[in-house]
Amino acid sequence: MTTPLPPGIQLEKVDDRIMTLNVGPQHPGSGHMRLIIKVDGDYIVSCDPDPGYVHRGEEKMAEYRNYIQNIPHLERPVIHDSCNVLYPYCLAVEELLGIEVPERAKYIRVIASELNRCIYTLYWLAIYGIFLGHSTMFMWPAGDRELFIDLLEAMSGARVTHAYLVPGGVRNDLPANFEERCLRQVDYFEKRLKEYQAIFYKNPLLISRTEGTGILSRTDAIRLGTTGSVLRASGVDFDLRKKEPYDVYENLDFQTVVMKEGDSYARSYIPYLEMFESCRIIRDAIRKMPKSGSVRTKLKPNPKGGNDEVYKRVESGRGSLGYYIVSNNRPEPYRVKISVGSFRNLICMPYLLKGELLGNMPSVYWGLNYWPVEADR
Amino acid sequence: MSSENEKDEQSSDTAATSSEDAGSLSKDETKKFYEEKGIDFSPDSPVRPKPIPPFEKSISDKIASKFGSKVNVDYVRASRIRVSTKKEDILDVAFFIRDELGYDHAESVAGVDYPDSKEIEVVYHLGSYTDDKLATQILTLATRVPREEIPNPGKDSTRMTSLREVFYSVEFHERECFEMFGVYFEGHPDNRRLLLPEDWADIPPFRKDFKIKGR
Amino acid sequence: MSTIAPQFRLSRFIGSLFDIIFWVLLLFSLIGLPVVFIILFYIKMPIINHQLLTPYLALTWMADPSRTLPIIKTLLHTTFFHVIAFPGFGFAALLAAATIFVERKFLAKIQLRVGPLYCGKIEGILQLMGDGLKLISKEIIIPAKADKPIFWVGPLLFLGTAAALVSLIPVAPGGWVVANPNVGLLAVFATIGFFPIITVLTAWAANNKWTFIGGLRALHQMIAFEIPLILSLLSIVILTGTLNLTQIVESQQHFWWIIFAPISAIVFFICIIAELERVPFDLPEAESEIVAGWLTEFSGMMYGLIQLGTYLKLYAFAGLFTVLFLGGWNGPSVWPQFPADIVTQGITIGPITAKIAGLPLFDQEMLNGTLWFVIKTVGVILMILLPRGVFPRIRIDMLLHTGWYKLIGLAFINIFIALGLLYAGVLGPGGLIQ
Repeated sequence: MTTPLPPGIQLEKVDDRIMTLNVGPQHPGSGHMRLIIKVDGDYIVSCDPDPGYVHRGEEKMAEYRNYIQNIPHLERPVIHDSCNVLYPYCLAVEELLGIEVPERAKYIRVIASELNRCIYTLYWLAIYGIFLGHSTMFMWPAGDRELFIDLLEAMSGARVTHAYLVPGGVRNDLPANFEERCLRQVDYFEKRLKEYQAIFYKNPLLISRTEGTGILSRTDAIRLGTTGSVLRASGVDFDLRKKEPYDVYENLDFQTVVMKEGDSYARSYIPYLEMFESCRIIRDAIRKMPKSGSVRTKLKPNPKGGNDEVYKRVESGRGSLGYYIVSNNRPEPYRVKISVGSFRNLICMPYLLKGELLGNMPSVYWGLNYWPVEADR
Repeated sequence: MSSENEKDEQSSDTAATSSEDAGSLSKDETKKFYEEKGIDFSPDSPVRPKPIPPFEKSISDKIASKFGSKVNVDYVRASRIRVSTKKEDILDVAFFIRDELGYDHAESVAGVDYPDSKEIEVVYHLGSYTDDKLATQILTLATRVPREEIPNPGKDSTRMTSLREVFYSVEFHERECFEMFGVYFEGHPDNRRLLLPEDWADIPPFRKDFKIKGR
Repeated sequence: MSTIAPQFRLSRFIGSLFDIIFWVLLLFSLIGLPVVFIILFYIKMPIINHQLLTPYLALTWMADPSRTLPIIKTLLHTTFFHVIAFPGFGFAALLAAATIFVERKFLAKIQLRVGPLYCGKIEGILQLMGDGLKLISKEIIIPAKADKPIFWVGPLLFLGTAAALVSLIPVAPGGWVVANPNVGLLAVFATIGFFPIITVLTAWAANNKWTFIGGLRALHQMIAFEIPLILSLLSIVILTGTLNLTQIVESQQHFWWIIFAPISAIVFFICIIAELERVPFDLPEAESEIVAGWLTEFSGMMYGLIQLGTYLKLYAFAGLFTVLFLGGWNGPSVWPQFPADIVTQGITIGPITAKIAGLPLFDQEMLNGTLWFVIKTVGVILMILLPRGVFPRIRIDMLLHTGWYKLIGLAFINIFIALGLLYAGVLGPGGLIQ
């Protein structure tokens, strides 16, 4: 007789033909997660994603801290996109506490979150490059990312974990001459982006590797509840900045990027094209921003939410990111649920990787715009 | 129905305790201290009655007229509707929401633990990609399952019907809810652990009786 | 301070040194010298200045520096020197080291970085030695269930095979080649054929899933690209009518074969990139898919040996390309003439004036040939390195398709071109151009 196994542990049957590969968490081709992949030769038979390697229980932690103390640790899931991660939290807390945000602060938030979206997308693109074995595409975005990191450092004082957006506005006003500096760097950045196209997106090897692989049809994209670039690559025109404009996005001039192919190439191309739109948004926001004024509505000390609940969402670098906050007249939230784009796109992995070549695994996996730390929370 | 009463009870409890929270300074002293620093000390969150938006009202009316007393429309706000139902009826309500109203995916499945009323609430946030009018809408579908004092995930009475055959996208969310709250989803094909380690032997960690060390 | 030697005394230290010197001298004179002489009696010594070089005579260079040069010259033409130093291992390893350094700086320039900077002050030129020291000092970890003898011997075999390939490359006119068989090209093919076997053996011996997949991929890739590689060189053999690499170089005195066999050159170039497992054909080591492929379990100097082997292989293939298509050592004579009095009378050297005849050690033709060979080879190496900055990795099905369908077809096209040129009487023995 076999001894009873501890809860959750399973024994697997060993097959002569099928080989089980543990891709991750200690693997250069996975993030902080594990993909249990079964291969038959070079073809993937099944894929079982196993996230949770960096699960930190942010939601549980948030129940023990008040609304202000929650700010710095709730940005931890995606430090490269910290403004966008905090954005829905700020919106939700503002609605919960009934705080009005000054007009200038709304524009500064939009600028900060778009800059941060570019930082995230460049980082993502760098990893995408090295996943496909393109070392130049690893170095270029990682270097150009510094431009925006410097800008956000000037704005917030920190290079990566900004904690810049707070309920009621932003933490501090823009530094002097920020507008000119920002516009100059955005201009330079757009020039650089065009060079990416020449070396990466128009590269025949990249095109032949990614085109027609991992196809996610429009119906399946909707059925699986995907979000962000994955959804837009499958032909669904859904961007929360357009569909449910928060703060001042309805005043700004930009468009949603949609592609119909639904393959790996489209999924990698859409975030790149969205960086151009981000540049447009930043320019437009700087033009339309009130030149002076308050940037923060001061909160009362230890504010209490009512006996209420709220669900707010924004479009982050990885898709829609929602905060569901239940409060019960206490300074701490009763329950915080973070609905993140990465976790919603996780469901695509077994679906898309089945039947693919092992060589397509990195492009499909990273093309899902999946951030393991965010998915685990 | 029960949820609102429940919330009221809780609020009266917590209001009684929260007055003691002020710490060493008395309330007037605190107020003076912050007024000197120029910080606005307005009263607690202002309650402004908002007009009920007509489009959202029409959606909630459709659900209410179809199911009558089986469902309870908790609130109707701009872009947000909350509907709660009993766990036996949730499959019918979900089918109705998907087929008649046009919601096609779930954004998240959240569990909320209410130890006082011995219930765990499971909250589905549903949205729509196909219907452009519903693009801003989030329909919150909530239900409550019984809560055991000593949980035994998967084997006790904390269970409900899975919505996976209605909304395919809840698959991983329900797996997360299962491991974090111990709510077993009947009919879910793959009720395994997702985020927690395989050898996790403690109670489901997001329940309120699981305390973080040092807090 | 106290950690080094708590009971340290300088006098004892010096005393121990003397002890060691005494015992070494004693043992050497009692055991070492007889052994050396016994060995030297069995070795055939060269004749220098009409005198047999006996061990005693060999030691007279200490007294008379002018006796040194003939000995050195003799040494330069021994097989031992060929293997160890000049056209063989030492020269190739030096070029390989230079290649690694150049690759780093070159890629850094493409990628808008600076590359190694600090170690060695001048553009981080000693970074290479630093990395080498690191590899040597690292622990060698053997997987518990590995097939240990094969796993141990794998890197050595790989390095040895790469060095064998190096030995076939003629570098300069006048017999500057380690091995010059009449079937040199066939020897090259035979040596290349060892690599897949070594790869699969080590991959299997490591008993790891990633190495196994990597080894199989390497096997597929090498076999798929070996056939077009051999076929592309067939046109050269048809045109020259010989398999000897030195004769192939000598046949290119007036024009390079790349002019008449450009398609072969392209096919051969793609094939050597694939054989070398370099980007875009680095599938056996694709790190985002299969960790490090068949190298996953190697650590420390075992990995270092394989890296040395790959760079030796890189040099060998670049040299082969130069020899076959770019005319080898042929080139305009740019090396300056040596002054006549040095050649005839020797130069005066040293505090005590002594005429030393026999300089220079190498003749002008050889130095000129080496210069051109190195220039061309470095150019080819740079061309092999360049795709690493530009291309992503290719997928296995695309790779096999390229190898089996496209490259074999292209290689055949050039064979027909070569046959046409031969039978039309343009090239070959007795052709128009010769």
